[in-house]
Amino acid sequence: MSEESPDQIIDRSAKYVFSFFLSSAGLWLLAAALFAYLAAAKLTDPYFLSTCEFLTYGKIKVAQANAFVYGWGGNAIFAVSLWILARLSQAEVRGSVFLIFAGVIWNLAITFGLLGILDGHMSGHEMLEMPSEVWPAMLVSYLIITFLALVIHRSRQIKETIAPQWFILSALLWFPALFLIAWNGLELNPSRGTLQTVLSMWYGQSLIWLWLTPVALGAAYYLIPAVLGRTIDKYYLAVFGFWCIAALAPWSVLHHLEGGPVPMWIPAIGTVMSIAMVFPIAVASTNFHSTAFLDIGKVWSSLPLRFVIFGTLSYTVSSYIGVVFSLPAVAKITQFTIINEFHFNQRVYGFFSMIIFGAVYFALPRITGREIPKAAKSFHFWTSTFGVLLLLLAYLLGGLTHGVLAGQPTLPWSSSVIQSVQPYFLITKIAFVILAFSQFVFVINVWRVIFPNPFSCCFSNKKEASA
Amino acid sequence: MNNLAKFILGIFITLGIAWLAFVVGARSQYGDLQPTAESLEDDGSVPVDSDLFPIAFSGIAKQGAEEYAALGCVTCHTQQVRRVEAGYDVDRGWGLRPSAPRDYVLQDHVLLGNSRIGPDLTNLGSRGHTNEWMHQHLYEPQSIDSSSLCPPSPFLYQEVDEPVHSDIEVSSKPTGGNTLYVRPSVRANRLVAYLQALKQDYELPEVSFVDEEMEEGTLVETTQGPVAADLSSAPTWLQAQIDAGKEVYMKAASGGGMCFTCHQTNGQGLAGQFPPLAGSDWVLGDKSRLIKISMYGLMGEIEVNGIKYNNVMAPPGIPPGSLTDDQIANVLTYIRNDWGNSASAVSAEEVATVRASLKGRAPMQMFTAPELIPPVQ
Repeated sequence: MSEESPDQIIDRSAKYVFSFFLSSAGLWLLAAALFAYLAAAKLTDPYFLSTCEFLTYGKIKVAQANAFVYGWGGNAIFAVSLWILARLSQAEVRGSVFLIFAGVIWNLAITFGLLGILDGHMSGHEMLEMPSEVWPAMLVSYLIITFLALVIHRSRQIKETIAPQWFILSALLWFPALFLIAWNGLELNPSRGTLQTVLSMWYGQSLIWLWLTPVALGAAYYLIPAVLGRTIDKYYLAVFGFWCIAALAPWSVLHHLEGGPVPMWIPAIGTVMSIAMVFPIAVASTNFHSTAFLDIGKVWSSLPLRFVIFGTLSYTVSSYIGVVFSLPAVAKITQFTIINEFHFNQRVYGFFSMIIFGAVYFALPRITGREIPKAAKSFHFWTSTFGVLLLLLAYLLGGLTHGVLAGQPTLPWSSSVIQSVQPYFLITKIAFVILAFSQFVFVINVWRVIFPNPFSCCFSNKKEASA
Repeated sequence: MNNLAKFILGIFITLGIAWLAFVVGARSQYGDLQPTAESLEDDGSVPVDSDLFPIAFSGIAKQGAEEYAALGCVTCHTQQVRRVEAGYDVDRGWGLRPSAPRDYVLQDHVLLGNSRIGPDLTNLGSRGHTNEWMHQHLYEPQSIDSSSLCPPSPFLYQEVDEPVHSDIEVSSKPTGGNTLYVRPSVRANRLVAYLQALKQDYELPEVSFVDEEMEEGTLVETTQGPVAADLSSAPTWLQAQIDAGKEVYMKAASGGGMCFTCHQTNGQGLAGQFPPLAGSDWVLGDKSRLIKISMYGLMGEIEVNGIKYNNVMAPPGIPPGSLTDDQIANVLTYIRNDWGNSASAVSAEEVATVRASLKGRAPMQMFTAPELIPPVQ
């Protein structure tokens, strides 16, 4: 035992927690992939499964987003955050029993929430569609996990904190704050009229900017130096980038209400702040890419890092595109089109998920002591990359077609505007099949390492019985 | 950054400032908007006797809003007409004017939406579609518009072999264009009541109709365009029937109906005792049931808009059961067209037909709700 390095002791303490959250995350990823395929198939053939009420398009589409963000995103955030915080604090993960207990509650809450959506108890609030009965369970289990993450951070050996810790801690803490604000304004003291929409949209969009995004950025800030063995280039900018995101992102999300029945200052502020977001985007981009390009050969040869750099590039591109699309002149065309899908998938798939994949491939061998075959990882990388690019291209071109044609009032709606967009729905269906396949490979990769021999216990029992 | 408490304080302050603006600030700016008149007096007061807008949804339409939310219709349909400079909405005939925050203050579920794979529905109720059209569209959108991507909702309907007059005729594509008859469920009726109630066809002090001249030549879908539902434009025969019906409803002397004593002058009934007529799924539903109740009364448990009542309604009229065919036709037409209700008129001939079909029934033998609800096949 004395030969174990401190890192190995920490990894071993995180083993059960990490494995639990990661294997649940994988199952949610597959569920979301199935929903995504069904939804895309329904847009190409409206009669597909149309007699099943619980599989009607509106429900499936919402279930997909919730399974992806809370199921896959939530579990992946717990796994990666706890491990990175433990590594950076040089402290062991403690309270595994409580963490796994809370994780079970979290997963049960989302399961019942999704069943509630499919059974017709959808609330209609953006990203809070799960019936409000499961919200308390989500919040309590989340707070337990966050508390134990803070315990790890508090027991850190080095007083000084670095970028990955800022991003991950703030993401962990922002989520319950947003959740409580939304809960209060939508259920406990419901707002009247379009205030409901302002609040639920602010919550739904902030969830991506203040929860998924910082965790992925934090993971990138941790993994790039860890794999390359060099410090982040121009690291002194990171603190500026962090506070820019903290201060600007919650303001920048409401430009989607442009022209709508809300006071004009609300979308206007959103637009201005979206433009100001070029600063933090530039900082993160500079930090990541100028470091990576110092040793591009190593980036390419390390699969975890290849995933991460794909994610950071995607972050940079998608965020700049987001800035352009928030300008009123452009928003006039793109608002209400399937470009919304482009933004969502680019951010949660092209950016967040790809970085999480990289973090998992980096952490899992260290935690379990078992290596994932390189060919399997590489296969996952290429199918994911191809699937996501195809998906985003379809949504981007389809969205522009959608917007330009919708803006010509003489064109009838469904027989002309939507008919022209329909081919792109077919492409998204193909892309979702490829992505589902790719995610299946990922889950197999992960489960094979976590449960190398799932039947070993049965066999050993048999041996004992025969002996 | 190294002190955890200060760090947490910092990240909550940045979030808190945005919260102050979008939640607290916006709430104090327009959280207490009230319905108002289409135009105000010079001193800013609401003119006496003017109608106030927006109008609250009827009970059945409110339930329809819940169905709409539960089915996820908002995934593809918006309910907001953008300002003219921000988009094509008015040009497409989706509204006479941009939507304003005040339009939504009486709605429990505000479903503005953020995606338009389907058209905007802000003014669906003023496009002149019949309930039958709405039902056909819900059952199978492709039976009306073959290029529609809207998912059919056959689970809201029941196919019937022996149609009655309230059933819906659909030519369904999967059956090769064959005609079939479907019976709307309570949920389908709620949804249609909600969709018909979606209208912003009034002006508000803060927003008036977009100038007609500006629109000329661009407004193409005139048949789809909003038609202002003006009550004073009701045909004279209908108005006469409604007026005569109101007299029956309010009269508590010989020859009257005395309906208001239980159902109240505002048609709201009394909670727990007498069911409402305003927005009632019974009143807006099948006419023959209403005629039967008006002749013979009703006793026992009945479910109205999802709420159960258990009481006795003696045969209406003074003396009981004395209402004539004309009186019944008028009073039913009245209750179907006041307090926000809007449903087809009832004629004296329809009443006579029902009366003839009940020839063998003993006078004063009250109906029960199960007798009136056709058994589910």
